[in-house]
Amino acid sequence: MSQSIDNHERFENLRLELRRGCLSLAVLSQLKTERYGYTLRKALNEQGMEIDEGTLYPLLRRLESHGLLTSEWREEEKRNKRFYRLSPDGKQVLKQLAAEWQNINKSLNGIL
Amino acid sequence: MELLDRYLQAVQFFLPKKQKADIIAELSEDLRSQIEEKEAELGRTLTDSELEALLKRCGSPWEVASRYLPQRYLIGPTLFPAYRFFLGILLLGCVVPRFLVWIGFLIFDPADRGYLNMGNMLETIVSAAFFTTLAFAIIEWTGIKLKLMDYWNPRKLPPVKDPNRISRANSLVEIGALVVFFALFFQVLWPGPVIDMFGAKIVLAPAWRGFFWAYTVLAMCSLALSGVNLFRPYRTKSRAFWRLLLDVAGGAMFCWLLKAQLFLGISAPNLSEEKAAELTALLKLIMAKALPWAVVILVAILLMSSYRIFRVWSSDRRRNAIVPSVNGVTTSIATGT
Repeated sequence: MSQSIDNHERFENLRLELRRGCLSLAVLSQLKTERYGYTLRKALNEQGMEIDEGTLYPLLRRLESHGLLTSEWREEEKRNKRFYRLSPDGKQVLKQLAAEWQNINKSLNGIL
Repeated sequence: MELLDRYLQAVQFFLPKKQKADIIAELSEDLRSQIEEKEAELGRTLTDSELEALLKRCGSPWEVASRYLPQRYLIGPTLFPAYRFFLGILLLGCVVPRFLVWIGFLIFDPADRGYLNMGNMLETIVSAAFFTTLAFAIIEWTGIKLKLMDYWNPRKLPPVKDPNRISRANSLVEIGALVVFFALFFQVLWPGPVIDMFGAKIVLAPAWRGFFWAYTVLAMCSLALSGVNLFRPYRTKSRAFWRLLLDVAGGAMFCWLLKAQLFLGISAPNLSEEKAAELTALLKLIMAKALPWAVVILVAILLMSSYRIFRVWSSDRRRNAIVPSVNGVTTSIATGT
């Protein structure tokens, strides 16, 4: 029983580690069009890329501080929301990361 | 919504000042959107327990705030193994010798065990841990680390060690030291009732003879062992065992020498009787006080020699384990035993 719990925990840790690396790419890809945090999270969740607010917002800030995103506060539906979109550098990096992802995916498919 | 405001206030408390307002506004917006969506689904406002469950899912305020903070540490992962190593050595160095000396006093000289104040041991440990941590933190945060990390060269790395190889130089030094010991031992300390040493006459108890000859036999065995080690410079279980036996016997005899108070008196041409008596008393006192330290050294020797045997044994075991079996029969590499 405890061994199966250990295995589950081990798998869960590895799964999270695997997904963590992909999150930046997923977030960048969804910000080709402007979105605010909540709708971005919903869009990702609907496409099977679940991400909680505690992970998403710090990630958005990190990507913005690296110059890959721009953001602005705007009022929508009577509430202030912060809208994010890809910066020109972000577009470039997204292309490179997407190509890298394809390579990794191809290699892994071959290996697996 | 009171619960939500309290939650946001708690998160805000841990956030960096400059980003507080911005982060809280964004987090608040997200949580309010989640609540609105849930309420729209249910067609009513959320109860306190439903709101509580939603906030709990988000994580504790400290956990949420920590994700916005840069990773901070006093000693980073690069330096940490070295830090742990030094701290371990320092703490062992603080604790083990004092403890052993204290045990020595307790066994052989209980009246004087207060000489070592064990009460301040904790203070010593805390100080050692504090200054080690401080030194490593300075290395981590002042950029010295980067210089240290750059300053290395594969050619300057120490050669691969074989812990079971006995250095021939060591064996030669041992043989040389034993020859000198024999020369001095026989010339100066020949077991008469009175020993003439540099013009002074030292009177020893008759039991000195027993010690003298026993020590001579031990030294000869040590000389033989060093000779074997010189020509076959690998530790084996039997030789490691002999080393343990000789070291422990030598240490035990030395402790007995201190305990037995063989020293009876001293006289010299320019030494008055009173001074000679004072000197005799002082030497006896020094020998008595040295006993606990000698016991500590004996225990240390015993531990080191035992560890040497364990190392040979485990190394033999490992070697045997990796040798492939031929026709179902496991072959072992000759270990020289």
